[in-house]
Amino acid sequence: MTYQTEIAPPLLDVRDLCTEFGTDHGTVKAVNGVSFAINEGERVAIVGESGSGKSAMAMSILRLLAYPGRVTSGKVRLEGRDLCSLSERQLNSVRGREVGTVFQDPMSSLDPVMRISKQMIPPIMRSLRLSREKARAEAILWLDKVGIPDPERRLEAFPFEMSGGMRQRVMIAMALSCRPRLLIADEPTTALDVTIQAQIVEVMKTLTAETGTAMMFITHDLGLVARFADKVAVMYAGRIVEFGPVRDIFCAPAHPYTQSLLSTIPSTKALRHERLAQIPGMPPDMKSPPQGCAFRARCAAAVARCAQDAPELSPRGSGHIAACWQPKGLEGCKRTACESRPQHGGNRPPRERTMVEINRLTKHFSSPRLFSRGPAPVVRAVNGVTLRVQQGETLGIVGESGCGKSTVARLLLGLEQPTSGEIFIDGLAQMVFQDPSASFNPKMRIGAIIEEPLIVKSWGDKAARSARLRQLITQVGLEEAHLERYPSQLSGGQRQRVAVARALALDPSVIVADEPTSALDVSVRAQIINLLVDLKEELGIAFVFISHDLLTVRYIADRIAVMYLGEVVEYGPADQVFDQPAHPYTKALIEAVPLPDPVTEARRATRLLEGELPSPLNLPKGCAFASRCPIATDICRTEKPVLRHPMKTREAACHHVNSI
Amino acid sequence: MVDYSLKKFAQLIFTVFGVVTLVFFTLRFIPGDAASAMAGDTISGEALELLREQMGLNAPLWSQYLAYLHGLVTFDFGVTITTQLPVADLILRAMPVTLSIAVLTIVLTVTLAIPLGTLAALMAHRGQNGLDNAITGTAMVLDLMPSFWTALVFLLIFSLTLGWFPASGTISFDSPVDYLKRIALPVLVLSVTQLATMARITRTAVLEVLSEDYVRTARAMGWSEMRVLFRHALKNAALPIVTVIGLSFGNLLNGTVIVEFIFTIPGIGNLLINGINSRDYQMVQTLIVFYALLFIVINFATDIIYRALDPRVKF
Amino acid sequence: MKQDATNIPQSLSNPSSLSRAARGQLARISQGRFLGNRKTRVALVILVPILLLTAFAPILPLQGPLETNLRAMMQPPSLEHPFGTDRMGRDILARTLSGVQISLLVGLSVAAIALVAGILLGTLAGFFGGIVDRTVMSIVDIFLAFPSLLLAIGLVAVMGTGVIPVIFAIALADVPRFIRLQRSLVLSLRSRAFIDAARTVSAPQGWLMRRHIVPNTVAPMLVAASIAAANAILVEASLSFLGLGIMPPTPSLGNIIRDGQTYLEQAWWISTLPGLVILAIAISFHFLSDGVREALDPRSRQ
Repeated sequence: MTYQTEIAPPLLDVRDLCTEFGTDHGTVKAVNGVSFAINEGERVAIVGESGSGKSAMAMSILRLLAYPGRVTSGKVRLEGRDLCSLSERQLNSVRGREVGTVFQDPMSSLDPVMRISKQMIPPIMRSLRLSREKARAEAILWLDKVGIPDPERRLEAFPFEMSGGMRQRVMIAMALSCRPRLLIADEPTTALDVTIQAQIVEVMKTLTAETGTAMMFITHDLGLVARFADKVAVMYAGRIVEFGPVRDIFCAPAHPYTQSLLSTIPSTKALRHERLAQIPGMPPDMKSPPQGCAFRARCAAAVARCAQDAPELSPRGSGHIAACWQPKGLEGCKRTACESRPQHGGNRPPRERTMVEINRLTKHFSSPRLFSRGPAPVVRAVNGVTLRVQQGETLGIVGESGCGKSTVARLLLGLEQPTSGEIFIDGLAQMVFQDPSASFNPKMRIGAIIEEPLIVKSWGDKAARSARLRQLITQVGLEEAHLERYPSQLSGGQRQRVAVARALALDPSVIVADEPTSALDVSVRAQIINLLVDLKEELGIAFVFISHDLLTVRYIADRIAVMYLGEVVEYGPADQVFDQPAHPYTKALIEAVPLPDPVTEARRATRLLEGELPSPLNLPKGCAFASRCPIATDICRTEKPVLRHPMKTREAACHHVNSI
Repeated sequence: MVDYSLKKFAQLIFTVFGVVTLVFFTLRFIPGDAASAMAGDTISGEALELLREQMGLNAPLWSQYLAYLHGLVTFDFGVTITTQLPVADLILRAMPVTLSIAVLTIVLTVTLAIPLGTLAALMAHRGQNGLDNAITGTAMVLDLMPSFWTALVFLLIFSLTLGWFPASGTISFDSPVDYLKRIALPVLVLSVTQLATMARITRTAVLEVLSEDYVRTARAMGWSEMRVLFRHALKNAALPIVTVIGLSFGNLLNGTVIVEFIFTIPGIGNLLINGINSRDYQMVQTLIVFYALLFIVINFATDIIYRALDPRVKF
Repeated sequence: MKQDATNIPQSLSNPSSLSRAARGQLARISQGRFLGNRKTRVALVILVPILLLTAFAPILPLQGPLETNLRAMMQPPSLEHPFGTDRMGRDILARTLSGVQISLLVGLSVAAIALVAGILLGTLAGFFGGIVDRTVMSIVDIFLAFPSLLLAIGLVAVMGTGVIPVIFAIALADVPRFIRLQRSLVLSLRSRAFIDAARTVSAPQGWLMRRHIVPNTVAPMLVAASIAAANAILVEASLSFLGLGIMPPTPSLGNIIRDGQTYLEQAWWISTLPGLVILAIAISFHFLSDGVREALDPRSRQ
């Protein structure tokens, strides 16, 4: 343990922390001897996939684990005091007052039947020993600081009257208003849109810097970390496998897991013909953690020693430690992971046929009311969208949640009837759904699931169908034995492969994939993206790829449509849209995407998009984006811009498109 | 609120109309007709014809139906066949006893069930399953005991063996102490079953709330267990509990019929059983409609209270 | 009738007599998870002896249930008469076992009627929505406006007493609840992605209902049916106790207890012991439903 170079004692010192969950099916060793330290005012990010034990570790620090979770050993020192030996009552004076907490899901983290004031003012009164009036003023001050408009009125609101982003701001204000020395943030932005995520991260960064509060930021998103963390701890299978300053972690990662994770993120400069690096296999079952290094089964650099002894953290540079027997991790075998994509250019059909054509498509949802007068409220989910997809082309649709991108998908598949407009599809469209756990009938075997479209469409006889099944299952990289299983027996990644096989069954001409990777872990995500790209190249199918993840869309899509409040605001070739966004919204979206590179991040201008998506119930008269647009002028608020061609290949709906 | 209440009220009116219509036509399905069923083998010929005339059975069906509806809205439910007394008077006289039993039962049940259910939930949440299993197990057994059997067992133990409460006897409001002693056993019997259901629901509701994120937030803010329980958990669990209190009123009405029968208490439940035994269809028809109306109104009230308690419901 | 009463409960663990969909369900849950479940075993430990006794009552050394014996009136429980005798010297155990047959017949018939009617009408209402849904649910609301026992009392008053009217009366109170449950299950399934997936290949509605909707509702409906069976047994006993259900001399648990009410002080056993049997059956059906639930959802351990 030589990593601690500072002389001053750390604010938080965690030593050999172990946490278990006793379940009916065995004990899950969620945290397996974690040690690290956070200094005064330092921002430390804990990064790991789901199941890596990062949240369990964070909750163990304040003993907030729900039954059956239990800290079995280890020490947690806050300014020298051992929190593990404190009584519940003593610990209550630390919780909130010295250590503030912000949780993942802002929608459920505030008491739904209590006004914000009732939840915010008493902790301030208690922590800072203030009178009710002064505490109230303090609460309003903090709501203002976290960027809540009209804080005095908002203080008396109920949580349900606010959006997710607003609620998370309230949570941050609540935690920071008690002036804690340390703020624990457990995936505080995971449930939020990319633009809101950028705002929240910025608020946390500024305010903790202002008050000198140290922060422990737990996330699965490595890219997010580069923007603001001082140090990064990477967790895998209940242990910290690498810890160090943010630049070292990103520029010179030493552990194979960190190295693989970084290479699975599609970079902005990634070349299309290069496959994404993917980590094979799945994380180990924590009920029976393997002997030796937990990552060895997925590691290209594993040697015999890895199977016997688990490596301890050892120094790799100043303050940089990693737990791997190989001094440089994967270096040297990296090439094999990043093989280049087989080229199918030769037999690719010419891209002349238009496979999908959407003309002025609209979809309005209305809920008639029985007793009140006036017109029923109408949600304009899709508001005049015109798009085209050529054969063998991938169209990426991006936008924040509520922009209507999923409704477009449902309209394309005929799952909803359009209010007006036309959809032409040459051939058959099929879909890959977002949530791999909900998109299969749990009572059907995988074979029956994939066969269903064939049976419904009376495709072939029984023998032909069963041959087709075997062909499909191998095509998506699974084995024939999987056909006999039930969906619950498959992992998320495998299920998404099955979803692809089902979509392919009838030889569709178009596959619509609605956020196909967002429910998957980072290391599995790349596997699915590679599969989709391979299939596209191999079969020449047109793809419509819907996602909020701009980096993935950029990697996979040929053309991109950016949607905002039911409209396409920009449309053009992927690279061009990314490199030279024409619409201010596209620009803001791209700026909000965290890049896994602290050097670039430090140089980036952080001109964040302000405000939130207006309600689609009452759209503004002029440009829908005017309320959040940094360059909006009077004309934007009165006149609706139409899609124009600022450049030959592109379209953008903005009055100021030429002045950007 | 107004919008929602009006909509619910419209539904309520429709349901009430359905109920009275259903009852009317069901009774017309009696083999033969109500008069001959009523009279049994005792009378025949002219006397039966007279009875038919008196009951209005000779009029066309639609005019009978209209007369029936008219009677309902003017609170004229006709007279009983046996005593020729107005049905409305008999019901009004029997109401207070039944209502007092029902109200006392609810009060007793709620005061016992909510702390017990909460305790069980707390224990289960902490993984201390011993006490939780004891409470849940007892609640399940109590819940499944047939109420008439429980009544007999209580009668055997508390009345016949221990002599604490009278097993039968006249009932009057003149002496509150005697009155309470007289209805104590029925209330106790009903409470036992109701208690079990309500404690179980409370347990489920509180247990669910305890694992909510906002409860964890309150803990992370450093609030004590008790404050978290009372300020957050119970307040949120109150919503489903209110619904269950409303719904369990139906079971309570079922139960009053049985205890009134066993403890010979002159409430509306006894009127119903006597009415059926003496084939007094005028009485039975009115009472069934009456019970249904009571239940509908209670459910309506519960629904409105629920919505008033929950700030998330926009009015 | 005896045949029926004893065979139906066995078919719960013997899948061959159930529907295709249910068979698939049970085949899987019975493989270890269901029969290995602690609650299921508790249920079977109570239920199996009662069923065996009931089935073999005729060959047990007992008096016939209707046989009187004037030399052994009001006998307390003994080896010869384990549950004692009543004022006509009839053996209470024999009468109780005979009553159990009727109880099980009523309980299982009601559960079966409610299950079938509930799945049919609930699926139609939930799946098609619109006018079908509104019509079905309006009628359901009307029936749900009656407290269940009172509805049964009212119906028996009209239809008369006896096994068939009792089954019909109790089922009519349960069917609306099952329709409502099935409808809510269907509604929550209808928006699931696997239904959408089937709709993208234009699967006909009958296919969606048969392949996707109904199979996924069978398990929760079976859980509800098991509770409904226990409940129907209690309601039948209540009706018979009130003198509105199964009429003497046919023994039913309710009317045996009613007989004993008059002699509560002199002969406590007449009323109390058959009541314990009702309780035991009701408890075992509840454990059975818990067993089904847990076998299907290992997470519901709370």
